[in-house]
Amino acid sequence: MPKGEIKNRDKFLNNIATNLGRERRTLGVARPRWKNQVQWNVLSNHTEDQLVDVLEKQCKSIHTDLVRTDQENLAQTLLGVIQGYGGKSVMTWDDPRFTTYHLINPFESWKESQNIAVHQWDVENGEESIRIAEQADVGITFSDITLAESGTVVLFSDKGKGRSVSLLPATYIAIVPKSTLVPRMSQATREIHQRVEAGERVASCVNFITGPSNSADIEMNLVVGVHGPIKATYIVVEDR
Amino acid sequence: MKVSLFITCLGDVFYVNAGKATVELLERFGCEVDFPETQTCCGQPAYNSGYHKKTKAAAKNMIHTFAHSEYVVSPSGSCAYMFHEYESLFEGEPVWQEKAKKLKEKTYELTQFLTEVLKVDNTGSEFHAKATYHTSCHMTRLLGVKEAPLKLLSNVKGLEMVELPNRESCCGFGGTFSVKMPTISEQMVDEKVEHIEETETEVLIGADGGCLMNIGGRINRKNKPIKVMHIAEILNSRGEV
Amino acid sequence: MPMHIGEKEFTKRVDKGLEDDFMRGAVRSAQGRLQTNRANAADELGDWEEWRSLGQEIRQHTMENLDFYLQQLSDKIAELGGHVYFAETADDANNYVSEVIANKNAKKIAKSKSMVTEEIALNDILEENGCEVVETDLGEYILQIDDHDPPSHIVAPALHKNKEQIRDVFKEKLGYTKTEKPEELTLFAREKLRKEFLEADVGITGCNFAIAESGSFALVTNEGNARMVSTLPKTQITVMGMERIVPTWEELDVLVSLLTRAAVGQKLTSYVTALTGPKIEGEVDGPEEFHLVIVDNGRSKILGTEFQEALHCIRCAACINVCPVYRHVGGHAYGSIYPGPIGAVLTPLLGGYDDYKELPYASTLCGACTEVCPVKIPLHEQLVKHRRNIVEEEEKSDLAERLAMQGFSIVAGSGNLYKLATRMAPLLVTPFVKDGSISKGPGPVKPWTDIREFPVPQKQRFRDWFKNREKGGSERAKRGN
Repeated sequence: MPKGEIKNRDKFLNNIATNLGRERRTLGVARPRWKNQVQWNVLSNHTEDQLVDVLEKQCKSIHTDLVRTDQENLAQTLLGVIQGYGGKSVMTWDDPRFTTYHLINPFESWKESQNIAVHQWDVENGEESIRIAEQADVGITFSDITLAESGTVVLFSDKGKGRSVSLLPATYIAIVPKSTLVPRMSQATREIHQRVEAGERVASCVNFITGPSNSADIEMNLVVGVHGPIKATYIVVEDR
Repeated sequence: MKVSLFITCLGDVFYVNAGKATVELLERFGCEVDFPETQTCCGQPAYNSGYHKKTKAAAKNMIHTFAHSEYVVSPSGSCAYMFHEYESLFEGEPVWQEKAKKLKEKTYELTQFLTEVLKVDNTGSEFHAKATYHTSCHMTRLLGVKEAPLKLLSNVKGLEMVELPNRESCCGFGGTFSVKMPTISEQMVDEKVEHIEETETEVLIGADGGCLMNIGGRINRKNKPIKVMHIAEILNSRGEV
Repeated sequence: MPMHIGEKEFTKRVDKGLEDDFMRGAVRSAQGRLQTNRANAADELGDWEEWRSLGQEIRQHTMENLDFYLQQLSDKIAELGGHVYFAETADDANNYVSEVIANKNAKKIAKSKSMVTEEIALNDILEENGCEVVETDLGEYILQIDDHDPPSHIVAPALHKNKEQIRDVFKEKLGYTKTEKPEELTLFAREKLRKEFLEADVGITGCNFAIAESGSFALVTNEGNARMVSTLPKTQITVMGMERIVPTWEELDVLVSLLTRAAVGQKLTSYVTALTGPKIEGEVDGPEEFHLVIVDNGRSKILGTEFQEALHCIRCAACINVCPVYRHVGGHAYGSIYPGPIGAVLTPLLGGYDDYKELPYASTLCGACTEVCPVKIPLHEQLVKHRRNIVEEEEKSDLAERLAMQGFSIVAGSGNLYKLATRMAPLLVTPFVKDGSISKGPGPVKPWTDIREFPVPQKQRFRDWFKNREKGGSERAKRGN
């Protein structure tokens, strides 16, 4: 992609420097070491199993169902959740983890046996993918990083990992490999920060998703399900 | 221990009984109390209204007045806190700032002085009533005195304390706010009085003349059967209501 | 004066607020809930004060190096193929956005919630240009449908409306036929707006925090509308106040954690969406073209002054949710899209004392705002500083008050005059005393006695009692020896 344009910058930033009473700073500003770093204390000595317990408890306050399973039973568990949502049309990411977790064959078989059509995000037919996602009953993605404290799945967008899959369908299922669990947002943002420092381009969209969409804009009454999914389930899978 | 009393203008003119109780209470715990005659007002009404230059005369007078005191104790958290503001008032005047800092360091609100300096948690008082306590904003949030009055009240024999709903919300006094924006102030004090009534208590206790004048003034206007008292009067009481 | 809302006169706006019983009931209950949620979220963390200090430290450092971080941010965005426009004024920002939209020949614009676009009145300009602008945050949508009723709260813009009013607005304007249940109203809006998202040519978002190191920015939402706006339209324009930036992703974590807790008591909102540039080649969804507009509009004047900390604000509204004045007058009384304590600090800075000189006085200085601010802005102290400016620099206080304060200064500065004045006080008020109280006070006491009784000055002042007692006391002491 060609470089973008920057307009009116120097005058603007020079004015800031003048108001701050010093020369313009263009180089060499380093973050100080913050005096308080309390964020690292949260759930710091929890084991992976304990983190799952924290996640499970947090899911109750974010209107999200949590199901535990192992790789062997994942397809069956997934089917149960889809059926629970009355799902007939499903959209998933095009993500190699669906193959690793042996889900491709079951997906194909459900069309005949369960009358459930599972679609995969298709970069070659972009507009069509968005259309299908918009009509789908269920969207399914993996979680890239999972935050126990807040009950959050972190999704990095990519070609096969369309933003719409976790957004447009009426309900949402995140498959959470247990190894993706970390205590809180701090660990995820530190990882992203380290990748940036290593010169990597950040995913065009990083979504921190915490349960279904909701609003309290009418008399502070919580309504679950606004523009994004109305219901959500996390399926935690033993993966080692 | 020598203690200079900073009585505050409301205490000098209106709430004389609270002042008397303060003196007796301090003496009961071994303090030698003096009253520097040249004391006036801390200057808060002018300061909070934005008249900082005009506050300086009062501030300088107070700094002089208490220059030789070992401790300065006041039965008002808000006025005691005003002494803490002098340092920023004299920004750019290092000599006065230094003096202001000294005054700040030796100034205490009454219940703060009792618990922190005299280490008294129980004043051995007796007062038979059902009462509630209003936490004044400046004392609680700015001076940071939260637990002391409640602790002391909890040890008063015969006193049944009921927690005031929304205890920490402002009563609507705010110094000149009460006359600059009277319609808003009215709504705030009315809500405070409603909450006091919800406690079904006979006495409202406070530790700040401003708040008591505001809440008490509204209670009297509405003819509510609630007595308004300063905490010093309760802590100095030996049984009589 | 785009930031301005409602009647010109402050007192008229206040009276209107005080008379609006529904609004006051709604604010009362919302404040109750939000305060409890915030307090619980803070308690749960355990070391909330350290978190606040961390937030404050980050904001301080960022503001002191704002030129550096904005440069880094814009360089990164340009590298990724996004465009950055630095707008000194509201007009500059509005013109740039209008140009982008005209170049795209776009007609339908979907917008997610953004205070800065309210501040610069972007919607008015776009509508004048013939665009259809759809606000997609539920609260903003309700207000837009209701003939552009202004927001009264920076997080919950339609806080002042009840569900029956919303039902009626939907009925009248959109042909809604169901009940006032929030679930039904919300579902209706979901269906209406879904269509708008799919049809929009351009998406406009605000920005909670830009991240300098990677040219990213984060949107903190619950409804999912900001995700829609940044996923479906082919062109995206993001408008940010120039101070809304953090150095790296690590600081994003801290400030988002503080924001969601302080605002609504959530550990995280449903969606924290961090966007970096236009979509990557080969990706299906996300914008093909991305523009960031960085707005000054008076902010740079605040830098380097004693009000700099006002720019630390992360727009959580915690100060609004505890403010006892906001509680009774509501958001519209402030006459600005930024209400409550932060509004009373910020609005005069951005809009000037001429139009907003009453706002700094709309506070009892109770300090509740300062106590809850997640980045430790000394809000009530800043209000006092405004008052000082209004009195001493602008000389905008009224004559009677100036004279009274002049008198006060002389009396309070002299022990002797003060003694005399307090001795005179009982005599002066004698004509007004009835049944041991003053019910109808003279002059300056009148606003007090309109509402409350005024106490009667005691004939024996405390100092008289103490003096008499001292004499007796020393004799007592002698006898004791």
